[in-house]
Amino acid sequence: MQAQLLWRTLPSLVLGLLFLSMPAMGSCSDKYPELLGQLQKQADFMQHTNTLLDLYIRSQGLDKNGLKEHCRERPGAFPSKDALQRLSRRVFLRTLDTTLGQVLLRLAALEQDIPKAQDLEMLSGVKLNIRGFKNNIHCMAQLLPGSSETTEPTPTSPGASPSPTPTLDTFQRRLEGCRFLHGYHRFMRSVGQVFREWGKSLSRSRRHSPHQGLLKGARRMQLSGRNKRLMPRVQLAPGSHRGAPGG
Amino acid sequence: MLTLKIWIVQALFIFFTTESVGELLDPCGYIKPESPIVQLGSNFTAVCVLKEKCMDYFHVNANYIFWKTNHVTIPKEQYTIINKTASSVTFTDISLLNIQLTCNIRTFGQIDQNVYGIRIISGLPPEKPTNLSCIVNEGKKMMCQWDPGRETYLETNFTLKSEWATEKFADCKTKRDTPTSCTVDYSPVYFVNIEVWVEAENALGKVTSDHINFDPVDKVKPSPPHNLSVSNSEELSSILKLTWINSSIQGFIGLKYNIQYRTRDASTWSQIPPEDTASTRYSFTVQDLKPFTEYVFRIRCMKEDGKGFWSDWSEEASGITYEDRPSKAPSFWYKIEPSHTHGYRSVQLIWKTLPPFEANGKILDYEVTLTRWKSRLQNYTVNDTKWTVNITNDRYIATLTARNLVGKSNAAVLTIPAYDFQATRPVTDLKAFPKDNMLWVEWTAPNESVNKYILEWCVLSDKAPCIQDWQQEDGTVHRTYLRGNLAESKCYLITVTPVYADGPGSTESIKAYLKQAPPSKGPTVRTKKVGKNEAVLEWDQLPVDVQNGFIRNYTIFYRTIIGNETAVNVDSSHTEYTLSSLTSDTLYMVRMAAYTDEGGKDGPEFTFTTPKFAQGEIEAIVVPVCLAFLLTTLLGVLFCFNKRDLIKKHIWPNVPDPSKSHIAQWSPHTPPRHNFNSKDQMYSDGNFTDVSVVEIEAANDKKPFPEDLKSLDLFKKEKISTEGHSSGIGGSSCMSSSRPSISSSDENESAQNTSGTVQYSTVVHSGYRHQVPSVQVFSRSESTQPLLDSEERPEDLQLVDNIDSSVGNLPRQQYFKQNCSQHETSPDISHFERSKQVSSVNEEDFVRLKQQISDISQPYGSGQMKMFQEISVADAFGPRTEGQVERFETVGMEAAIDEGMPKSYLPQTVRRGGYMPQ
Repeated sequence: MQAQLLWRTLPSLVLGLLFLSMPAMGSCSDKYPELLGQLQKQADFMQHTNTLLDLYIRSQGLDKNGLKEHCRERPGAFPSKDALQRLSRRVFLRTLDTTLGQVLLRLAALEQDIPKAQDLEMLSGVKLNIRGFKNNIHCMAQLLPGSSETTEPTPTSPGASPSPTPTLDTFQRRLEGCRFLHGYHRFMRSVGQVFREWGKSLSRSRRHSPHQGLLKGARRMQLSGRNKRLMPRVQLAPGSHRGAPGG
Repeated sequence: MLTLKIWIVQALFIFFTTESVGELLDPCGYIKPESPIVQLGSNFTAVCVLKEKCMDYFHVNANYIFWKTNHVTIPKEQYTIINKTASSVTFTDISLLNIQLTCNIRTFGQIDQNVYGIRIISGLPPEKPTNLSCIVNEGKKMMCQWDPGRETYLETNFTLKSEWATEKFADCKTKRDTPTSCTVDYSPVYFVNIEVWVEAENALGKVTSDHINFDPVDKVKPSPPHNLSVSNSEELSSILKLTWINSSIQGFIGLKYNIQYRTRDASTWSQIPPEDTASTRYSFTVQDLKPFTEYVFRIRCMKEDGKGFWSDWSEEASGITYEDRPSKAPSFWYKIEPSHTHGYRSVQLIWKTLPPFEANGKILDYEVTLTRWKSRLQNYTVNDTKWTVNITNDRYIATLTARNLVGKSNAAVLTIPAYDFQATRPVTDLKAFPKDNMLWVEWTAPNESVNKYILEWCVLSDKAPCIQDWQQEDGTVHRTYLRGNLAESKCYLITVTPVYADGPGSTESIKAYLKQAPPSKGPTVRTKKVGKNEAVLEWDQLPVDVQNGFIRNYTIFYRTIIGNETAVNVDSSHTEYTLSSLTSDTLYMVRMAAYTDEGGKDGPEFTFTTPKFAQGEIEAIVVPVCLAFLLTTLLGVLFCFNKRDLIKKHIWPNVPDPSKSHIAQWSPHTPPRHNFNSKDQMYSDGNFTDVSVVEIEAANDKKPFPEDLKSLDLFKKEKISTEGHSSGIGGSSCMSSSRPSISSSDENESAQNTSGTVQYSTVVHSGYRHQVPSVQVFSRSESTQPLLDSEERPEDLQLVDNIDSSVGNLPRQQYFKQNCSQHETSPDISHFERSKQVSSVNEEDFVRLKQQISDISQPYGSGQMKMFQEISVADAFGPRTEGQVERFETVGMEAAIDEGMPKSYLPQTVRRGGYMPQ
């Protein structure tokens, strides 16, 4: 049990250390709604298969002879929507960051199978977008109080199997890559839905009291109030209505 | 072995060469700092350090150092001797950008030697870049730009830096040609805030701009919507539907739009209210458009929250709204034309095509109805805009409608009055004026209700007929502009006709110009009358084609050749002007300019000369002078007439009448044959025998006597003979005047005074009854009249002998010469006429003379007659004797006496048998 707890807390600790250990570079936005909106839009954008999967299928020749039908997500490769919804915000962010990190690694592996420079350029753009998404996760984690404390378990992430087994032949490898990317887009769709729920809860809390709502949300996220230095930053957010994107 | 030697030699050569060159290139010292870059306005110190070896060689130290900048020695006040080998120089407030500084020493007391030199570069550190902004053109990479600040005079590098919270991007270094902007190498990542700033760096420092943090999606300039299309609706003629395709950015962001539209021929755009297009959409329906009108549209977009930049405008797309029924009735008017059919009139109905915004579609045709008073209506369909019909002299009502695909317009109604209709009620205060490049017409409406106004206009020209254009205005309008293609500098005759319910009213007219200009030609001035001190100028009005405006006034410029020009303004209504105070007998140059509101134009120059005298001035002088002369002459004549006796006494004393001389009385048998009036009395006691008296009345020009001819002969003879023949007793006046004075002046004068009447007294010695006296005796007359030359020189009388035979051929030239002698007192013409008269008269007289001679001779018997004949023959063929001449003369004188000349004393010759002593 203790080992399980350690197993669960270790990634969080690592992630927290990772966040804290990042060099002081460009500052994150201190506007929670704005940042939430950015994350939501990014997820909405990245869920579209035309941003990555379609490119891969086309580049690998999987768009012929009904091969596309075989490109289905392998179950368990990415956390399900339900699993994500059950996670606390901090763990969710952590899981999201870890998963996207695994995706980047896998994309680097898939990159070797994409011959066209144009497609490579697009893939490079996708990777940059994922890195940007991870940047926003980092910033959101900065806004959330008690970022270093969590007891929640981290769901299984694709990091467990970042790359297909080397024994697979090329076709199987391509098909596996296709399935992975399929799971990636589905995962991003689920992430977008989670962030949308975050946005709804923010709207509800605003209607009651901007300050209290945010605090309640923070409590519901089972975060301690130790990191009080972030509170004023969050409290500044309601002052700006313009950034709240509608559903 | 040989190879080794060669190698050694070469090595030694190289060694020594290198050593010597090194010695030559090795400077005596150096300057610190080596390559200084200093800030403008700051202080700078340079130190020159001499090498010991050099100091020893040249026997110098730091005291011998002197500095130069740009070859100019720096004052020693700026030097500082640091030690034996080092000397420094300090500059304060450096202002030059580039300074060449050299360290020099003076060797051997007189030779300046350069030790070392450096170049000081001056400049400024970079200023903090400001106004940093970035833009993300859709589909392209992010570009940022900034203001670099002041000029640094140094090479300054600008670096655009960017980073996320978790990642740093590669620096963007500016290019040399675009030092104030930079485009990053990476694609923008939307929805991730990025921090951007600029670093400016040069040799004097580095400075960083303010950091800006933004989401690149808020800096997006989207691509404009494309495939814009326009479609209309048959149901609604006032709408057009736009559709378009948004740019791909709309997958990330919401968009708002600007939609602008205009009619095809308009230049300004109208815009759809922004609030109607504030969200992402793909189509929009524009309402409240005009039917059957072509509209042009364009669209642009930007991020709907207003962050970022507007896209460029899309390509324009156009569409035409659907047709609607004509919204207005056409303008409708008529013209009456003379008709050859009695009782009918030819009426031309005219109308204007509806403008597109009133036609609301394509006009297919027009429907005209014509209704005579209380009669049936007649319909006509016309495709043209005019229709001519013969109607009776009754009153008619005409209507006109325009028809398009959708429907008909309202009807325009026009009343054509009866033939004998008298138009009244005109508009008043009609004015026309140009404004904003249009010709406006304004009037005051009549008191009664007016249905509409008809404005007609045409160009007035001397060369072309007045072709009228027209337009219609509503009855409520009292000011409008002429909607025709009007030209500048043309005179328009504008008429306004109010149209009442019962027909047209009276017409009012006015002339106007859209824009005036100076006349094309100036007026041609000429003189109507020129006086001594004034001239009446006249000119013609300029033709309307060259006026180019209303002639406001004329200016007459006139001058003499040397005088200043004088200008006189004349009202434009005049065509005549009198220039006064002119100088007589002077050439004047005059020209004339006509002026409109926009300027004038000179006409051709005209010259005239004023006369020296005014009209009648000469007459006023000459007439009185002539009158005075005549008066004087008259008085003189009267005086002479009154004093004629006295004058005669002094100038022309009476010559005693030989017939009354004592000789005559001395011969008691000689009866007085003639009554010589006063002479008879004067010389009643005179006694002469054989005295013949010749008295020539020279004054009587009209009736010359043979004595004249005799004197002519004498004159001729005188001419022939040598000069110096003067009797001293008498002579002709002619001779006296032409001869070079042998006779004394008194004699000449006397001769001249007696030129009018000359009396001759000749005592002819004659024998009694054909007895020739042995001695010729002269009896002196009491007369003081000198005798003729012929009397003194009988040989001269030979010429007279020929009279009988050559009377008809009397040399006229000689006679003229005699007259010529009178030239001094008479005009030539009168001489000539007179000579002719005399000549003709003489011929007649000689004929008569011959007759008289024959008459006289008959009583004396045929013997005498025979004698005359013999004389004539003798004259013609033989030498003449004195006696013969004397006889001839006597006969001639007697003949003349018979003619009864009262004032002439013809020579009386006492002949043998002819003088009968009593």
